[in-house]
Amino acid sequence: MEDTDETILVLARNGDRAAFARLVEMHYDMFFRMAYRHLGNRADAEDVAQEVCVRLGGSIRTFRGDCSLSSWLYRLVVNAACDHQRKAKRGRNLAQAVAAEHEVSGGYEGENDNDAATRLWEAVRTLPEKTRQAVVLVYSEGLSHLKAAEALECSEATVSWHIHDAKKKLRALLAEPEGATYAR
Amino acid sequence: MHDEFEILRQARPVKPSSEARKKALAAAMTAYDEADEKNVSATQGSDTVKRLLSKTSNGWRDIMRKWLWTGTASMAVASAAFFVVGGMYTQYMRDSGLAVVQEMASHPAGGAAFRNDGIVPIAPQPAPPARKAMESMVRAERGVAVAPAFVGNYPSPVMDRLPSSAQSRDRVREFKGSGVKSVAEHPVSTYSADVDTASYSMVRSLLNMGQLPNPDTVRVEELINYFPYDWQLPETRDEPFRPTVTVMPSPWSQGRKLMHVAIKGYDVIPETRPQANLVFLIDVSGSMNAPDKLPLLKNAFRMLVASLSPDDKVSIVTYAGHAGVVLEPTSASDTATIYAAIDGLTPSGGTAGEAGLNTAYRLASKALVEGGVNRVMLATDGDFNVGQTSDEDLKRTIERHRESGVFLSVLGFGRGNYNDQLMQTIAQHGNGTAAYIDTLAEAQKVLVDEASSTVFPIAKDVKFQVEFNPSMVSEYRLIGYETRELAREDFNNDRVDAGDIGSGSSVTAIYEITPKGSPAALISDLRYGKPQGADVPGEAQGEYAFLKIRYKLPDEDESRLIDKAVTDDDEVEYFADAPQDVRFSVAVAGFGQKLRRDPSLAQHSWEEIKAMAASSRGNDSYGYRSSFLSLVGLAQSLDRAAVAPR
Repeated sequence: MEDTDETILVLARNGDRAAFARLVEMHYDMFFRMAYRHLGNRADAEDVAQEVCVRLGGSIRTFRGDCSLSSWLYRLVVNAACDHQRKAKRGRNLAQAVAAEHEVSGGYEGENDNDAATRLWEAVRTLPEKTRQAVVLVYSEGLSHLKAAEALECSEATVSWHIHDAKKKLRALLAEPEGATYAR
Repeated sequence: MHDEFEILRQARPVKPSSEARKKALAAAMTAYDEADEKNVSATQGSDTVKRLLSKTSNGWRDIMRKWLWTGTASMAVASAAFFVVGGMYTQYMRDSGLAVVQEMASHPAGGAAFRNDGIVPIAPQPAPPARKAMESMVRAERGVAVAPAFVGNYPSPVMDRLPSSAQSRDRVREFKGSGVKSVAEHPVSTYSADVDTASYSMVRSLLNMGQLPNPDTVRVEELINYFPYDWQLPETRDEPFRPTVTVMPSPWSQGRKLMHVAIKGYDVIPETRPQANLVFLIDVSGSMNAPDKLPLLKNAFRMLVASLSPDDKVSIVTYAGHAGVVLEPTSASDTATIYAAIDGLTPSGGTAGEAGLNTAYRLASKALVEGGVNRVMLATDGDFNVGQTSDEDLKRTIERHRESGVFLSVLGFGRGNYNDQLMQTIAQHGNGTAAYIDTLAEAQKVLVDEASSTVFPIAKDVKFQVEFNPSMVSEYRLIGYETRELAREDFNNDRVDAGDIGSGSSVTAIYEITPKGSPAALISDLRYGKPQGADVPGEAQGEYAFLKIRYKLPDEDESRLIDKAVTDDDEVEYFADAPQDVRFSVAVAGFGQKLRRDPSLAQHSWEEIKAMAASSRGNDSYGYRSSFLSLVGLAQSLDRAAVAPR
């Protein structure tokens, strides 16, 4: 699989449209899934996934292979998602933003409101940007801390620290309303 | 340690809507194309003309890149002369966007048939048809193969004559003839043996479709070497071949002579034939779904399997979207298993050539027969995508395996997409031959009648060097071999790769020479050149030239040398006195040069070529020579059609 991936990448980088189409096709679900974890709603996630596609089309030829393709793609998605969020935040008025930041359950169009995991993800969205990025890569995409570090261009220790920080913050966040569910 | 946040991993997956997905993919393609347009304008005007494989250091990829992004005809003229080819190129590219067409076959036989544009840019289609491509890819991914409509059919005459070629994407390298050389300035001519025959089949296939080939793509030496000849065999087994030289008056130029050099390799008798370990590497990409491709290929391989001995080994690897092993090394006696594997091949998906190649090499090494013949036989319509590594890496891969004893041959199928140059190059680096198979009869010729030469090499890295005697010869012109020219110093360099000769195959080279003092000389003597002929040693008097052939036995790394002086003894007074096979090969050489529009043959008519071939047809047991005659007739009629409107 990795082999095929590499082959397609080289072709796409060299102007092979079919290979590029296939590359996007293969990774689109990942784009959407990660964007959804970051943003928590379908419309935004679809916008971000499309934005990633566009950025990928524009920049694939310049990808020099300094890191693995997957790391590069993760980075594209993470950046696009955060850009989107910043833009959206700017658009909203401060009051709304504050309200959204502090409202853990509700506000977002959760598709499985009563699903514990869904609600925990909602909590994740309130975390600081870098922390959230690390959580999405490790828990949504199942990356090791090392791999996540490559995608985020930081050290492995930094990722571990973010994950640790995320757990601490989430525990605190969740301790109040439904702590019993999560705190062992 | 228990991780209470593991629950995050189990969150219900959310699926994107298919509409959003489609929109995003289309947007991706648009962005991709826009980026490409920028590239086109950025890279224009940076090309240089590339020449001759052996002297070229630039890789296929760079050439390919320039080529793909070259949108203008003026650029094309510069780059088309050599290496108008590349590996990374797929159906999708062809369907839309910047497509590049080879001149060969792109014009109907009309007034423009001999223009030398090389490349015709096709206007990009406005809407990127992302969906169509996606659908076909999805289909390929699911492994739902579309049943080929013509399984079991061979190309019918009707198929062969379909009006075709506005869409033809055959990529065949163009080159100029090597021209007349002055012996005073260039006394030595060096080139690599060529036993490939692909050019003849491609020319035939085009003529049968009513088109003259692009003159600059016809490889005359491959036309000549297509036919079996009865050259003299070596007396002992120790030397794999011996040269036969004939000097005769040139049938197409007054005052010039032809020097005809022929060698034939000894035939490995079936009983002493080494055990063979063959890996068929078969392209099953979507483009192979045509009656003259996969179905023909299947029949060809069935015939080859039938001609193997029971202790030979056969494996099959396919490549399309990904490479897969279809048949692990299997004894050739187990024909049922092998046939079943061949029958099960269906076209699907894109092309991942390099992954396939690696898999094929792995199988070949697994079943390696020490002292036997180990060969990967790549069958493709030309879409061979160079994968993750650079072209240099690919060449190295092929060369590394060649050194470990696994050789590579290429069988080309189908028209419209054939990447002749890449295939030639791959075969040359892998010590193999490149053949082009357009009909079942051709498959029979390459894989059965000439199986031993296709499969069993008797000499490798065969190089020719001819030194002309300036006191006898003032000018010479090598007919064909333009793409096989070597630097003079490469002759003695054992590390320089060259052509290979298979069991029983023959190699013929023809020079047109101008004797000293003949009024036919084109180049005048140098005023300040030293007087010629004065310092030629006594024993060399009366020698036209000195021929040297360097070669290695298949399992040796040291070259051996065969040499021969060409003297009056090799000369015949009249063309008609030359041996029959010599005359026939000269007729074929005339045909090839005529197709190339060589000025030397302007006064030589198709009729004369036909008459020459007809009188030297011999017993022609396979009918190859008779079909050559009808091909000359076909070319003649097409040539008239092209000339008449003027």
